[in-house]
Amino acid sequence: MDFGPLPQLVVSGILTGLLFALISVGLTLIFGVMDVVNFAHGEFLMLAMYLTFGLALIGINPILALPVVSVLMFVLGALVYRVLIRRLLAGPPSAVVFGTFGLLVFLQGAAQYLFTSDFRSVPNPPFQGTLHLGSVNLGEAQLVAGFGALLLTALVFAFVEYTEPGRALRALSEDRVAAQLMGIDMQRMNALAFGLGIACVGAAGTLLMLTYQAYPRVGTEFALTAFVVVALGGFGSVQGALAGAVLVGLVEVLGGFYISPALKMVPVYLLYLLVVLVRPQGLLGRR
Amino acid sequence: MTIRSHLNVLGIVATALIALALGYHNAFVLNLVFVGLVFAVLGQSWNWISGYAGQISFGHALFFGCGAYASALFAVHHGSPWLGLLAGAGVAAILAVTVGFPCFALRGHYFSIATIAVAAIAEITATNVDALGKANGFEMPILPAGLGTLQFTEKGHYVLVALGLFVVAQLATIALERSRLGFYLRAIRLNQEAAASVGVDARAAKLTTYAACGALAALAGSLYAQQALYVGPEDTLGLPISIAIALVGVVGGLSTVWGPALGAFVYVALARYGGAKLGGTGNGVDLLLYGALILIIVSWRPDGLAGIVHSIRRSMKRRVVEPST
Repeated sequence: MDFGPLPQLVVSGILTGLLFALISVGLTLIFGVMDVVNFAHGEFLMLAMYLTFGLALIGINPILALPVVSVLMFVLGALVYRVLIRRLLAGPPSAVVFGTFGLLVFLQGAAQYLFTSDFRSVPNPPFQGTLHLGSVNLGEAQLVAGFGALLLTALVFAFVEYTEPGRALRALSEDRVAAQLMGIDMQRMNALAFGLGIACVGAAGTLLMLTYQAYPRVGTEFALTAFVVVALGGFGSVQGALAGAVLVGLVEVLGGFYISPALKMVPVYLLYLLVVLVRPQGLLGRR
Repeated sequence: MTIRSHLNVLGIVATALIALALGYHNAFVLNLVFVGLVFAVLGQSWNWISGYAGQISFGHALFFGCGAYASALFAVHHGSPWLGLLAGAGVAAILAVTVGFPCFALRGHYFSIATIAVAAIAEITATNVDALGKANGFEMPILPAGLGTLQFTEKGHYVLVALGLFVVAQLATIALERSRLGFYLRAIRLNQEAAASVGVDARAAKLTTYAACGALAALAGSLYAQQALYVGPEDTLGLPISIAIALVGVVGGLSTVWGPALGAFVYVALARYGGAKLGGTGNGVDLLLYGALILIIVSWRPDGLAGIVHSIRRSMKRRVVEPST
């Protein structure tokens, strides 16, 4: 039987989706723990991409850069929480929305000023080969990025599910007051969650540099996709983000092929509107 | 501020700008003033729904673009933008109701992200429709100058037209603050359930406001397109425009009559003038400064520039009173 290009598209869609998953896990983690929608999420992705590019210039390839970037982004995230987000959380609910939005504008402006609007890609990127599985061709870089993202998403899931700090994070997302009464230090845990969320999107940025280019506005499109993913999976759910991300990856790739590449984001945005209007708790979420 | 002092300020601003528009012929400055007025109107339109009603929109370019395309299309095909200007405002109002009807069921960030998604769909659509010139957009023909074609040889005349729209927007806001609808909106922002329980029809109030927002932003879009003689998807519908509109509103001060005008003034000064002085536009300095300004304002002065001006006025008054006590 011949399925035409379908198997190829499905595999590409899933691999793309896995990267979306790692980006979205960061977003959903931050939201789940402290009810903050980080509108600057895509800008942290962009920063990590430039960081990876910079490291590549001094001879460190993206795979070696991955732990370095993740740790740096974790520290940056925790710092942003301490300096900015904590202050915003004390204000009216809109303060966080406008604050992270201001951060978006600031980081985008800074990147444009420091790095110009040029597209930057890693010189001599690794994994240039292609694997052939029947009728499906797979770029090695895409495979490494996809499976790397899956592995890291699983690690985050394990951390949240099976470790002591992970339990504390879940306790906070379930009932902030009760968790604090049980002796959980909320400020510390919020900083941990924000750092972890930014480390996730940072790692995703590094993996993305295997196949993609960095430019100041690269984050916007990915952040929008991540919002859709997180809405699909239910704000705050790690498993939901993974499922939503693969679905969005498939919709994007299949829509791009069967409708038109220029219109590939339209079904994704329509999916968002449909889900939040019909099932606001997300596809897997419970009310 | 009392209604009298609002009108006094408006009178002074309008007189000063009329004098500037007629007496000063520096095209660069007049262009800045024109863009500032357009953004003051856009910021005010945003302020109605996102400030007074508290429904934060990051997709306001949808209406701006709607007006820009509508008047541009009429200018190309019928030689006059006026019908297009009205059609654009009408379409934008209908669009606002269509989008708002389902989306006002969404709260907080769900609504904000929905506005981004809808504007993005509109931008992608405009980028792919032949009649709208696809990604390149289209230029408008140069017509005989005059009020009938909304094309002028004097930059100052564009300023006068924009000033007219600005005055209308300001008067509408002053009236809104004192109207039943204005009180409803503030009640909805503070606590929608409580407002509903005392009989406020929240959805109707938000939809009415959103329709008016759409129409006002579309009118601003039409004027902008008439002055640029060009429309393109990214320049009128893109996320950067939506972001700029929200910037103007937040920096100026939410739910205030004069906030958007102050925000627009600072936006134009930083983005258009500052950008040009610090080594060409589009190098990001403007965004950098503006982002920093938002961060400072939301962290320390959530009431924005209008709030700062207000406290300066109060402390000045106190100083005047002090000697006699």
